[in-house]
Amino acid sequence: MKWILFAWKNVMRNKRRSLTAMLITAMGTAAVLIGGGFALFTYESLEEMTARDSGHVVLAAARGFDNDEDVPLQHGLAGAAALAAHYAAQPGVRAVAPRIQFSGLISNGDKSTVFVGSGVDPAVDFRLRGPQLEFVAGEAPGASDAVPEVAIGNELAGLMKVKVGASLTLLATTTEGNLNAVDVIVRGIVKTGVPDIDRRLVMTDIRAVQRLLLSDKVGSLALYLKDTAQTEAMAAQVKAARPELAVRTWRDLAVFYQAVRALYNRIFGILGLIMVVIVAFAMSNTLGMAVVERTREIGTLRAIGTQPGEVVRNFVLEGAAIGAAGAALGMLLAGGATVALLFAGIDMPPPPGRSVGYPLLLSFSAPLYLGAMLVVVALAATAAWFVSRRAAHKPITEALSHV
Amino acid sequence: MNASTMLAERTATVRLTDLKKRYRVGDDWAEALKGVSLTAAAGEMVALTGPSGSGKSTLLNLAGLIDTPDAGTREIAGKPVDGLDDAGLTVLRRERVGFIFQGFNLVPVMNVADNVEYPLLLLGRPAAERRQKVAEILERTGLAAFANRLPDALSGGQRQRVAIARALVKSPSLVIADEPTANLDSHTAQQIVDLLRELSHERGAAVVVATHDERMSAHCDRVLRLADGELISGERQ
Ligand SMILES: Nc1ncnc2c1ncn2[C@@H]1O[C@H](COP(=O)(O)OP(=O)(O)OP(=O)(O)O)[C@@H](O)[C@H]1O
Ligand SMILES: [Mg+2]
Repeated sequence: MKWILFAWKNVMRNKRRSLTAMLITAMGTAAVLIGGGFALFTYESLEEMTARDSGHVVLAAARGFDNDEDVPLQHGLAGAAALAAHYAAQPGVRAVAPRIQFSGLISNGDKSTVFVGSGVDPAVDFRLRGPQLEFVAGEAPGASDAVPEVAIGNELAGLMKVKVGASLTLLATTTEGNLNAVDVIVRGIVKTGVPDIDRRLVMTDIRAVQRLLLSDKVGSLALYLKDTAQTEAMAAQVKAARPELAVRTWRDLAVFYQAVRALYNRIFGILGLIMVVIVAFAMSNTLGMAVVERTREIGTLRAIGTQPGEVVRNFVLEGAAIGAAGAALGMLLAGGATVALLFAGIDMPPPPGRSVGYPLLLSFSAPLYLGAMLVVVALAATAAWFVSRRAAHKPITEALSHV
Repeated sequence: MNASTMLAERTATVRLTDLKKRYRVGDDWAEALKGVSLTAAAGEMVALTGPSGSGKSTLLNLAGLIDTPDAGTREIAGKPVDGLDDAGLTVLRRERVGFIFQGFNLVPVMNVADNVEYPLLLLGRPAAERRQKVAEILERTGLAAFANRLPDALSGGQRQRVAIARALVKSPSLVIADEPTANLDSHTAQQIVDLLRELSHERGAAVVVATHDERMSAHCDRVLRLADGELISGERQ
């Protein structure tokens, strides 16, 4: 305790200099924490976004993910209803969503264009996607045995010049290779924020799609879990129980997520490295000056029986104190920024390929904060050790005659 | 050999024998000590005088174990010194040797009490004992009222009294004082010498003090004269 007090008194000896080192350390720590918080928030948002979109674990028939079908549902999953019922009954599973991806032409009678369709179970799918699927007009289509209802992308609606309630025709190739058509009613107009998708998207009841394609198979079954962390465990369980199926997790399917994560990890890793260098320099500089100034004092303390290691230890404590104070201040700054952004409501510009931005928020991560504190303190202590160990071993008579 | 010297021989707490030390000066060697022997008994105050460059500081550094001789042997409190490594010497200084410097050399961020407590802290003495010993010696050196002051807020004489308290609080075998009064006016110097002598007598510490000051050496038990790295003695009562 006495030693820590002594170290702190020495820190306060040259207040301006110590304060400068503390501020540099605080800035560095805050920069890393804010950068890290931003990266974590982005990962979390993308994780949620991707998992909502694709489901946590996606099952398909063998080759179901290969995208090399000659006709629709060539590698479709048969007996999907029983499979869906089985997994829906599992404790960790929130919902099971059967899906068919298909494409064809959509027509308003005057003109037609290409669409990319998604056959879903209206009862579950629209609920699961949550806020990601924004209805700009109308509402989610229901399951209707008469005339199927659809939700279409807002840009496609513009292209087709239709409003909610209008009727359109879908044309697609059946599983037998023939052309088939179905009349549909526009029940909702949606916006995903990705223009390429909004120009082509058609969502409708999966049973209408099966009738259109003349098949009772589905393209895939998406399992939505209660806890994202259980993804790998569930995937492994399915693989073991159903070796004939192809199984993917949202992580496998999330190309964008993976790319962003790799990029951010690199960017913020480099940022962290730069901060480490800056803090190390600031610390060595501050403590190095202190050591030189106190050479005679070191000689005095050595003469009256202080071991070199004890001299070094005092400087290490001093460095650690500056580092800890700086890191604590940096944590406050980063924490303050995290809270402030919650209220500020700042939006980031849309990422490439998207038309809507996303809120600028930071995630708070206790391990990140704790790790930053440990790294900074260790760094400061190491710098102190490095700059003081020579002076501590200097011949005492030499140190005492230092002016 | 007179009575005092014989006493010193018998109860010698410091025994330096035939110490030699030379320094490299350019291509040449400067012989700072050419074989000097010295003993001092517990409670004895020995003055070391001689012209500038005669080797006083060199001898004190060797006696205080902060420098190593080229030849000769040293013994403190019956323990042979030579052969100890740096850590061993440091432990011996910590336990047995007190230092008083010309420039006081107090730790500026520590108040008077903390400066005096420091040697006891190094020795790992329990807090209660430290507190009691510090209070005792501050009282004895007339510093009790200044316990919480920083060295900067003290006069030169007061600072040197703190240094004396710091050197003697652990009741060492040997106190080394290199020109302890050179920065003080003669009246204050007188008080400092008296205090140092009384306190070292009380605590049974041998004091070796280098000084130019005749009035100071007059208050010592023995005066040794160095010239050109050699003891030309000149014992005096
Ligand atoms: N570090 C050193 N390097 C070279 N020569 C030295 C060194 N220290 C002392 N000397 C030389 O050794 C001799 C003795 O010096 P010392 O400091 O012991 O004298 P002193 O009696 O203490 O003098 P003063 O009264 O001026 O303090 C001198 O000739 C000095 O120049
Ligand atoms: Mg000298």
